[in-house]
Amino acid sequence: MVAKLQVISLCRSLLRAGRKYPDYNIREYTKRRALDGFHMNKNLTDPSKVKEVYAEGKAQLEVVERALKVYLAYPPKTKNIMELKVQ
Amino acid sequence: MNHGSSRVHGTREQLTSLSATSLSCKAPSARSIGTSQAKPETVQKVSDIVREQLALSADTALTAESKFSALGADSLDPVEIVMALEEKFDISVEESDAQNITTIQETADLIEDLVQKKPAAQAS
Repeated sequence: MVAKLQVISLCRSLLRAGRKYPDYNIREYTKRRALDGFHMNKNLTDPSKVKEVYAEGKAQLEVVERALKVYLAYPPKTKNIMELKVQ
Repeated sequence: MNHGSSRVHGTREQLTSLSATSLSCKAPSARSIGTSQAKPETVQKVSDIVREQLALSADTALTAESKFSALGADSLDPVEIVMALEEKFDISVEESDAQNITTIQETADLIEDLVQKKPAAQAS
């Protein structure tokens, strides 16, 4: 039985992990996708379904953290134009 | 006699002034768990982020005592709000702290607490 606190904690972990990416595009994508994923499934009531999507979320968290290590090894040399302040 | 009484009077004065200071001043202690009231600017900054996150119209009343749930937030909105506040104030909010905030005032208090603790950690 997945508790509400666990779900919120997972969401927070995903957002935190995504924030660390040096690449602007990936950073924004992980944030958007994580929030979308949780919003999409927020009205589920069936416990087995909840457990299923929670496990999916956990697996995705592992992917994010694993990929982060690779991306940190090769950070982009220039800033993405979207990150630059408007002159 | 005069000399003696003035000395006693002086000590009593000192004692009274000391106790007055300890009663009236509310020093922001680093160890208190968000019990000190946040500055209005902090409350304003928090309100701005909450307003943006919950997509509230400009004329929606937003007070320090507003509860997130009353403003139409679901359970995931505080997560996003805390993330945005972490970035804005350059702080890190613990999981346990983040779960206990329900109003704008509580959020602002927690943030001020963390901001105050930060320079001490950097200085040491």
